[in-house]
Amino acid sequence: MITFKLNGKTVQGEEGQYILQVAEKYGVDIPTMCHHKALEPAGMCRLCTVELFDGRRSRFVTACNYPIWEGMEITTDSEAVHQGRKLIVELLLARCPDVPMLKKLAKEYGIEKPRFKTEGDDCILCGLCVRMCERMGNSAISLTGRGVEMKVDTPYHLQSDVCMACGACASVCPTGHITLEKINEIITRHKDVQPIPSEYDMGLNGRKPVYVPYAQAVPNTPAIDRDVCVHFKTGGCKVCTEFCGVDAIDHTMEDEIVELEVGSIILAPGFEPFDPSKFDSYNYANHPNVITSMEMERILSASGPTGGHLVRPSDHKEPKKIAWFQCVGSRDLNRCDNSYCSSVCCMYAIKESVIAKEHAGDDLECTIFYMDMRTHGKDFERFYNNAQEKGVRFVRSRVHTIDPVAGSDDLSVRYVTESGELQNETFDQVVLSIGLQTNPETVALAKKLDIELTEGNFCKTETFEPVETSQKGIYVCGAFQGPKDIPQSVIDASAAAGSAGAVLSAARNTRTLTPEVVPETNVFGERPRIGVFVCRCGINIAGVVDVPAVRDYAATLPYVEYFSDNLYSCAQDTQETMTQIIKQKNLNRVVVAACTPKTHEPLFQETLINAGLNKYLFEMCNIRNQDSWVHKNNPDMATEKAKDLVRMAVSKVALMQPLEEAELQVNQTAMIIGGGIAGMSAASTLAQHGYETHIVEKSDALGGQALNLFRTISGDDVQEKLSHLIADVDQNENIHVHLSTELKNVEGFVGSFKATLAADGKETELEHGVAVVATGASALKPREYHYGDDPRILTSLELDRKFMDKDPALKELKSAVFIQCVGSREPERPYCSKVCCTHSIDNALELKKTNPEMSVYILYRDIRTYGEREYIYREAREKGIIFVRYAVDNKPVLDLDNGEIKITVTDHVLGRPLEIATDLVTLASAVVPNKDEALANFFKVSLNDDGFFVEKHAKLGPSEFATDGVFLCGLAHYPKPIDESVVQGRAAASRAVTLLARETIHTSGTIAETVPMNCSSCAVCVSICPYSAPAFIEEGPFTGKAKINPVLCKGCGLCVASCRSGAIKLKGFDNDQIFAQIFAMNEAV
Amino acid sequence: MKIQSVKDLEKITREYSTSLYYPDSIKVNIGMASCGIAAGAEAAFKTAAEAFAADRAIQVSQTGCIGYCEMEPLVEILTNGRPRVMYKNITPDKILDAVDDYQNGLSKKKWILGQMRDPRSILEAEIDNPMGKVEPFEAIPFLEDIPFYKGQVKIALRNCGYIDPDCIEEYIAKKGYRALLQMLEHSEPGKILETIKASGLRGRGGGGFPTGIKWATCAKHDGDRYIICNADEGDPGAYMDRSILEGDPHSVLEGMLIAGYAIGSRQGYIYVRNEYPLAVKRLVTAIKQAEACGLLGDNIAGTDYSFNIKISTGAGAFVCGESTALMASLEGNVGRPRAKYVHTVEKGFREGPTNLNNVETYANVPAIVLQGAEWYAGMGTDHSKGTKVFSLVGKIKNTGLVEVPMGISLKEIAFTIGGGIPKKKRFKAIQTGGPSGGCIPERFMDLPVDYQKLAEVGSIMGSGGMIAMDQDTCMVDVARYFMDFLKEESCGQCNPCREGIKQVLDILTDICAGNGKEGDIELLEELGSMIQKFSLCGLGTSAPNPVLTTILYFRDEYEAHIRDKKCPAGVCKALFHYEIDAEACNGCHVCARKCPQDAISGDKKKPHTLDQELCIKCSICYDACKFNAIAIC
Repeated sequence: MITFKLNGKTVQGEEGQYILQVAEKYGVDIPTMCHHKALEPAGMCRLCTVELFDGRRSRFVTACNYPIWEGMEITTDSEAVHQGRKLIVELLLARCPDVPMLKKLAKEYGIEKPRFKTEGDDCILCGLCVRMCERMGNSAISLTGRGVEMKVDTPYHLQSDVCMACGACASVCPTGHITLEKINEIITRHKDVQPIPSEYDMGLNGRKPVYVPYAQAVPNTPAIDRDVCVHFKTGGCKVCTEFCGVDAIDHTMEDEIVELEVGSIILAPGFEPFDPSKFDSYNYANHPNVITSMEMERILSASGPTGGHLVRPSDHKEPKKIAWFQCVGSRDLNRCDNSYCSSVCCMYAIKESVIAKEHAGDDLECTIFYMDMRTHGKDFERFYNNAQEKGVRFVRSRVHTIDPVAGSDDLSVRYVTESGELQNETFDQVVLSIGLQTNPETVALAKKLDIELTEGNFCKTETFEPVETSQKGIYVCGAFQGPKDIPQSVIDASAAAGSAGAVLSAARNTRTLTPEVVPETNVFGERPRIGVFVCRCGINIAGVVDVPAVRDYAATLPYVEYFSDNLYSCAQDTQETMTQIIKQKNLNRVVVAACTPKTHEPLFQETLINAGLNKYLFEMCNIRNQDSWVHKNNPDMATEKAKDLVRMAVSKVALMQPLEEAELQVNQTAMIIGGGIAGMSAASTLAQHGYETHIVEKSDALGGQALNLFRTISGDDVQEKLSHLIADVDQNENIHVHLSTELKNVEGFVGSFKATLAADGKETELEHGVAVVATGASALKPREYHYGDDPRILTSLELDRKFMDKDPALKELKSAVFIQCVGSREPERPYCSKVCCTHSIDNALELKKTNPEMSVYILYRDIRTYGEREYIYREAREKGIIFVRYAVDNKPVLDLDNGEIKITVTDHVLGRPLEIATDLVTLASAVVPNKDEALANFFKVSLNDDGFFVEKHAKLGPSEFATDGVFLCGLAHYPKPIDESVVQGRAAASRAVTLLARETIHTSGTIAETVPMNCSSCAVCVSICPYSAPAFIEEGPFTGKAKINPVLCKGCGLCVASCRSGAIKLKGFDNDQIFAQIFAMNEAV
Repeated sequence: MKIQSVKDLEKITREYSTSLYYPDSIKVNIGMASCGIAAGAEAAFKTAAEAFAADRAIQVSQTGCIGYCEMEPLVEILTNGRPRVMYKNITPDKILDAVDDYQNGLSKKKWILGQMRDPRSILEAEIDNPMGKVEPFEAIPFLEDIPFYKGQVKIALRNCGYIDPDCIEEYIAKKGYRALLQMLEHSEPGKILETIKASGLRGRGGGGFPTGIKWATCAKHDGDRYIICNADEGDPGAYMDRSILEGDPHSVLEGMLIAGYAIGSRQGYIYVRNEYPLAVKRLVTAIKQAEACGLLGDNIAGTDYSFNIKISTGAGAFVCGESTALMASLEGNVGRPRAKYVHTVEKGFREGPTNLNNVETYANVPAIVLQGAEWYAGMGTDHSKGTKVFSLVGKIKNTGLVEVPMGISLKEIAFTIGGGIPKKKRFKAIQTGGPSGGCIPERFMDLPVDYQKLAEVGSIMGSGGMIAMDQDTCMVDVARYFMDFLKEESCGQCNPCREGIKQVLDILTDICAGNGKEGDIELLEELGSMIQKFSLCGLGTSAPNPVLTTILYFRDEYEAHIRDKKCPAGVCKALFHYEIDAEACNGCHVCARKCPQDAISGDKKKPHTLDQELCIKCSICYDACKFNAIAIC
């Protein structure tokens, strides 16, 4: 360590360090133009000149390259230094009067106009580019010439093959003299140099060789792209190592082969978006304004290449008219081999069009060209309807060609309308809704694992084993199983985890390590001894906020016993140091001024626990997201704000008290309400995991709606499979089936529910830790199309029954008609029942099989055979089934005339009424939920407008409720086919296992608590709490007063705010703590 | 022949002192340094050599420059028993007559510069004066008594003009390599370091850093140590080093050998300007001879000491005289300086500890080792010991190289040795230290010359350039001239020097062109001060000296340029015109005859007139008029 004086203050640095490095450490700002952390300092710009007193005399040295020595005295901002720097800036400004960076610097030094004759250069000859190029291992450029003739140039002013156009020179050029464009233009004319396309931004943006693939990447750490990293080409560079404050970069690392012993494997390799380049007629490869939907996603994203600003790529003009083309790379055997439906494109196209309108304003014209609008997911139809109301135009037409409009960047689209007219329309931009397909690498992987694939190269699964591959022990989830959206993928994932885990349940907890528990220090009654740790977050914070000043400011605050600043407070070694400091300094409160508590509070709380402190004796203030990031342009004010935030945090933490976390035992029993396919799947999964499970079934048999189904599209006999499943459930000793049983009441909370079951007039109690709602739905009894008036007019399930009964009459039919959307997609029931299109087509094919001569018609609105169900739609058309589309405002009319059924429907191609005489009409009636409000009340869960249960989160929590310990699956969630019911049943069970696997649950310490003495028993808290946490005390001195169940309380504060008596306080956010913060803030005003 | 000991040297000394001091034949020593050759010495030599090829009684040989360059070609003629006579300005057409004259009674008195009283060098005090028993010629002055030589003390130049530089034996005969061998036989390196330290010798290249301390520091640092001789003498008008290399190359080699031994180095480099071809040639010869004699190379004189010297030629960048730039250039990189915060004695050439001195410094070393530190320290002032070679040029009668003890006054150098200003012009200033030195006005002419004193008046010792200026020198123009030189020669890498000098020159050019404005002087001072403080290397930090000293001492001239739009010295053409003083003009018509523009007219013996429209201010009339009738207005 070398000790010396810097501006009169004693400072320390390491032997071999330069003045600038030490000054930086101590937050002393020294300006420089030619310095770069990764490069040997050259002392060329001389701006960093400082005054050095060596004990005898004073002289001027450059801080960037003057090594420190014991006892020297440095002044960084004397008058002479300032004047000299100012003159240097003035000289450079005369040389380069138009360089923004110099103009800014000149302004800081109060130079309005240089006193010298100005030139028009834009190179300040700082030499950064040359040194950087040398560091890259190339030395393609150098400073040539002498004196005033000096310039940056290639040898002999010639183009050079040595230049790899890595752009390192441009990246350090402070003036813009060197840019990538110029390198492209001048140096590497013969090469086609492009930025490295960002995969995440679909190539619309460049990225660096060191990069985090995307903001949410897991792990969220940067990686080096060896294919483009200069170091791996020249052996030079390694600049990144200089910037890594924790020496985390190791270029010598090799790929490692890690062998893992596992009991199950889950395949979740996902999909690749279809590449439309080969569609010549769409000009995707040639025209910048023909983009894919993935590119559109990035353009619309706030984190995307244009920051969410909707502009078209060619000229950055804000488009006025955008078209989406559906089914690009899907449902297409002519131009590609993907005959399946990609399931998700209709919905995302609508979403993009709506968001585009939100971004660009209502006058943006959005047109979606489609074949069938497939919005079959939960709440999707509603979204579709809203989009139409918002003015998104839907045109049913498959467009063949996109032509560039000569003389502009616009695109001409030629298409045929439904009525057969040829139209030409010009758009600013066209978005191709590209489909999903399995990556060839995944296909190869499947081959290697000997896994069977489907016709569309998806993983083949069985309806009743939807996450099992053809290899035992290997499971699948997500888009590799078939094109699917996020909710379905998440459900799949839970199911696969459940299934994969079930076979491993015997091994549970065999490899778990238990951390050593540090005994908690009792700080009660102690005077606060606060430690303040200010984080630099690399340059994230320190680049704007004067961190040392904030740190020193913290020292002046009451009760602060320790203060320091860290480069990265969250780094592991820093955590260890903090633990040591807390112990050594006997700290009993800690403030960390860093980033967001949302991500980092648990980490620092862990540090407190390791130091033996209660984790609630902690306060975090966010001087990054809420300060340095948003006040980049006002560093001084940002520093002040950081001080304010630290002061507020200190004032609050001083009042913090240790809080206890309630611990509750989890009853390792599950109750499943509903014995259909979903419920039984959930039960058998739970049972396989070894948990005692009770199925409560209202009816007298297991099976639910599946009892009414004939077969699946893959040809499985539903009844046969169902009976296997029922037998399995019946025989499993972990499963207790309660038939003809009703649920009368449920009390309690996660981990310890108590249900009252009623059967045969007797009530029993069932204690359980978790519950799965699988109450199903039923088929609508239609009230139109003369249903009930004639035995030949059936619902789909009734036709299934006839198939099951092998009704001989079916063979005699001459004509059969299916009418779709009976009761679905109507104002009264504005959702799609999802299963009917596939079901009707399958049944139509069955009829055709029974009698190939039969005329079979399907009257539909949109055929929604999503995913690989599309194949049977194709087959149906091949087999001569006639599809006639009708509009909701022009429904088919069914007449019963003299015992003849006559259906009149307007043919959408001819525009004329078509009369069909038939002897069988099948109504694809809607799937109607049970709307079980009582059940919803038992568990404090809600139903949506259609009567389906509302899950915790549409995408991320599709199989669970907001109420802890309660899970959801099957038709009660939304209409779905058998495979999806099985999957969701397993998913719900899998989610439940995550709770059951823990024997105890810790709740938060920051919860509400009543002061019974002050309670006026008004019951506002009881009625307002969404989690049923408050209740009245039933015995003892405070009977009738409110108390909060700490297990149920989420600490939301609703009751605290509503309590008129001020009898409730929120621990950790108590009034005095909040007010202390507010008063501390007030000091700033 | 391999030389093993001092005895071997003494043998050679005995053999060659005859030819040096007591030649049986007539010996014609022709000064064949660049200055002599430029004046025609080579042709003279050829003429003489051819003429006396068959005559065994006349021997023609070459020597280096004896300093009085003004008088070149200088030819010394001697023979045993007769005085040694120095003939001046002996062009090829005169050489045979001069020899004839020496043989036949010295009738051409005007050709003779003088006769030599004592040809011994300062190291040869213990031998008898070869001229001791010789009767001098009458009516011929002794060289030692003429003003140019009278005040000189020759240490670095001790052999220049006295020996044949291509003959190692003559060097040896004059006590050459004695210091080296005595050192190898008797002294530890540490003792040499002490000697050099105690002598007070300071670097003669310009910085004036104490040589002994530099050597000792270099010796202290581990690594492959290097000895470098800086022979990149780039100052305009200064050629001390060239003269030594051309006249006495072995003295430099011996100095480097001693340095190498003291410091513990095995490898030396001489970085010499490519514009000094003769010096390079003589160095190459000297190195070969020294190697042949076993005085250079492996196991010198049979000892464990090995030292090699390589020559590297520079490409003519002034900045390569700066030590770090020189080393960069020597390494094969671009010759640009770097910050010397880590000294080159610690990490210099190829990252090794490197000792760099200039030619003159090394040339002094053998004398110091031989004569002792006290002897050397006995000369000069408190802070500046020994002697210094100056290159005396400009508006001065006697141009040439002079070696004087430190502490001698500027006046003595310029007026006594230099002979003062020709043509009765008024002395104005003397510029010392090369292009980045300062201009010292008349009032400081009594200043004793040493490192400190020169610095006190804003100039530097530099490598020894000394330019005299008379009344016809415009100080603004002088500053402009030097800035123009430095603008070209700045390496360009640091802002203060590159951009600063450019702007200083720009302002000076404006002033000289009559476009100066109020505030320019202050701006020049501001710029100058910043460039001094903020520049990276010595070139930049000393670059503003010419401007700052001229402003300091001749501010009135700047003001005249700016405010009155006048150039009092009549140099800046936009700022003066000539007029004929009717009273002083006697109508001799010389001016009118010489005027290339026919701008002057007038009847004979009557005052002439000058047509301002035609006058191009070429100054021919001004220089031609013997009556000072042409006035600068």
